[in-house]
Amino acid sequence: MSPEVALHRISPELRPLLCSVVRNGRVGLDSTNCLRVTDLKTGCTSLTPGPCCDRFKLHIPYAGETLKWDIIFNARYPELPPDFIFGEDVEFLPEPSELPHLVQWDAGNPECLLQLVKELIQQYHHYQYQRLRESSRLLFEYDSLLEDPNYGRNMEIYAGRKNSWTGEFSARFLLKLPVDFSDIPVYLLKDTALDPGEDVALLSVSFEDAEATQVFPKLYLSPSIEHALGGSSALHIPAFPSGGCLIDYVPQVCQLLTNKVQYVIQGYHKRREYIAAFLSHFGTGMVEYDAEGFTKLTLLLMWKDFCFLVHVDLPLYFPRDQPTLTFQSVYHFTNSGQLYSQVQKSYPYSPRWDGNEMAKRAKYAWVTAWKVFAFCMAKVNSCCKYLKDQSDY
Amino acid sequence: MAEPTVRVSGIVLSSLMFQHVNRDSDVEGLILGESRIEEQVTISDSQADHIHIEEVYNIQKHIACHKLNDFYDNVGDVNVDAVKKILAENKQENLIGWYRQRRNTDQQMTFREKVVHEKLKSALSNPHMIFVLLTPSKVTSPGSTHRMEYAAFISRSRCFMNVPVLVNNLGLLEQLAYWKVSAPFSAAGYNLTMKKHSAKFFSSNGQLRDVNEVNKMNESLQSELQKACGDVEESERLVETLQADVSALRRRLREKKQSSVGKASDSDDSPEQRNLLLHEAVRALFACSPLFHTQTLTLEAFPVPAVCCSVEPDEDESMADAQETLSLLCPSRTNCRKRPRETQPLRERKRTKSNS
Repeated sequence: MSPEVALHRISPELRPLLCSVVRNGRVGLDSTNCLRVTDLKTGCTSLTPGPCCDRFKLHIPYAGETLKWDIIFNARYPELPPDFIFGEDVEFLPEPSELPHLVQWDAGNPECLLQLVKELIQQYHHYQYQRLRESSRLLFEYDSLLEDPNYGRNMEIYAGRKNSWTGEFSARFLLKLPVDFSDIPVYLLKDTALDPGEDVALLSVSFEDAEATQVFPKLYLSPSIEHALGGSSALHIPAFPSGGCLIDYVPQVCQLLTNKVQYVIQGYHKRREYIAAFLSHFGTGMVEYDAEGFTKLTLLLMWKDFCFLVHVDLPLYFPRDQPTLTFQSVYHFTNSGQLYSQVQKSYPYSPRWDGNEMAKRAKYAWVTAWKVFAFCMAKVNSCCKYLKDQSDY
Repeated sequence: MAEPTVRVSGIVLSSLMFQHVNRDSDVEGLILGESRIEEQVTISDSQADHIHIEEVYNIQKHIACHKLNDFYDNVGDVNVDAVKKILAENKQENLIGWYRQRRNTDQQMTFREKVVHEKLKSALSNPHMIFVLLTPSKVTSPGSTHRMEYAAFISRSRCFMNVPVLVNNLGLLEQLAYWKVSAPFSAAGYNLTMKKHSAKFFSSNGQLRDVNEVNKMNESLQSELQKACGDVEESERLVETLQADVSALRRRLREKKQSSVGKASDSDDSPEQRNLLLHEAVRALFACSPLFHTQTLTLEAFPVPAVCCSVEPDEDESMADAQETLSLLCPSRTNCRKRPRETQPLRERKRTKSNS
């Protein structure tokens, strides 16, 4: 159900409360999407003219699960606070006095319901922690992470149902990794069709049994971050070590991600330096270059009255990965109608050189390369002329 | 181990449902009755004695609250004074629980209901209290069929468990158990009660009062409906008459138009009606202009002034004026002769006709 449909059907007195939930309701670590509302119903008779819906199901993302809570108002008593049914968690009974927005319910405050839901989530987190106590091993994992301020403040846990057959108990930890994405070049972040939202990296670790013999980690990145790092296949986190624990594993993943981000940022600066150096060495021959991402440049060069283009493509992980050179003729076409070109990868290169050094070395190395290319073009030219003569004859 | 059961008579359950089915919101109230714990000892060949504890809650009456959250606040704290006020002259020891009816929700206790129930138990110092939940809902989307589900809950160590509700006088009947006539009941106390209260329910002719009232209401409704039908029929007839009048008028108008068109076509042979005032004005302005009356053009498309023919057959224009104008206008001309007036023969014919 879209937010607009829900807002259209809800009773007018309750609309402001629901509006702030569906439009601004970001709760918990996974706040990329707003809270979702479904199953809108009414407590009035069927003869009551609409809109008069006053009860609905709220879907709340939490620790990789989706909580489905029923929220019950009364359209005839809009000033009264809502009531809740906590789905399958029938044993979850928060202490009402620890819910300030319930104690001081203000139906005139549009944020009141959203704040109450957040307070209930905090209580729910505490409830899940209590359930985690059934396993000392998992409790240890939680307590050790809690002590570290980098992870303890941004953690959600979900203790699953005990398997009645095997007696096994499972749990999931969801952690927000404290990685700084602010220095990632803007151009890498903008080309995503989805709403970027907050840039966040979440690590989900599922324990299928209480003794941590089957542990499955998974890293979730915001769409823009995933795109900036080169897609979903670019980053592979290590498997959870057998006998390991979260307090060792999580920082390892965090460091890996941080290194990746730094590499991308440095790569951007290196490419910019590279392009700048080429501009100073080949300024008069520069045709065009990528002024945003600094991923490619094109030069028009001449040697003994022979003009040709040189395209330089810089990969994402430059300078680790070597740029690709493509020499292209301005005179000759292939059978398919494309300009004749030749890719050159073997030229002196070292990722440790700075941009200026790379430009200088490229200048010397290309002299040989473009002589060979020019010779090839001459051969092609003579072949073409021979064929033409033959056809004329 | 105690097995709790809730028993309610069909009359009480149906009156509880009926009282609230048309309310436009959730409703709640208190339940009165008695709760008892029975210990049954059964002796069988396999066991020396088997103690079976049965916990039974008998619902005998309900009291509705006038509004929601009447005896508790936002966090579920119970106001005992409010409870006593709702009870009125009923005894507090008869209070065995409370109920709530909420439309279109699951049959589960909500967060606040659990809190209120626990606090009610502690406020009234009664660990044996029940909560009855009624959840009416629509079965079909057009609302032709509705479902009324009911359940009872008790709490044990802050755990809430569903308790079966048994409706007295309702049960599975075997085929042999179908009765063709109702069995006579001859208890003296029953007869006395019926004599005392039957006048409130039955009229002198032995019919249920309510049924008589409903029948009367139905008759009034039918007569109103008939009146409305009569009014509709009358207005429809009036509309029909008016439509017939309108059609007749249209037909007459059409005929009139057709006849006037026919008359107009008859007079096509007669000379055109002349706008005499226009003719006079034109004559006054242009009578002396031979250019205005000429029907002859030069090769260069210049008009050749001719002798003006006046619209009145007995008036002639002067030739001298025409000549003068001609000399001023154009030196070359092809013809200055007046074209013969073609109307003369027609007029003569007309004269001939009128004479005859």
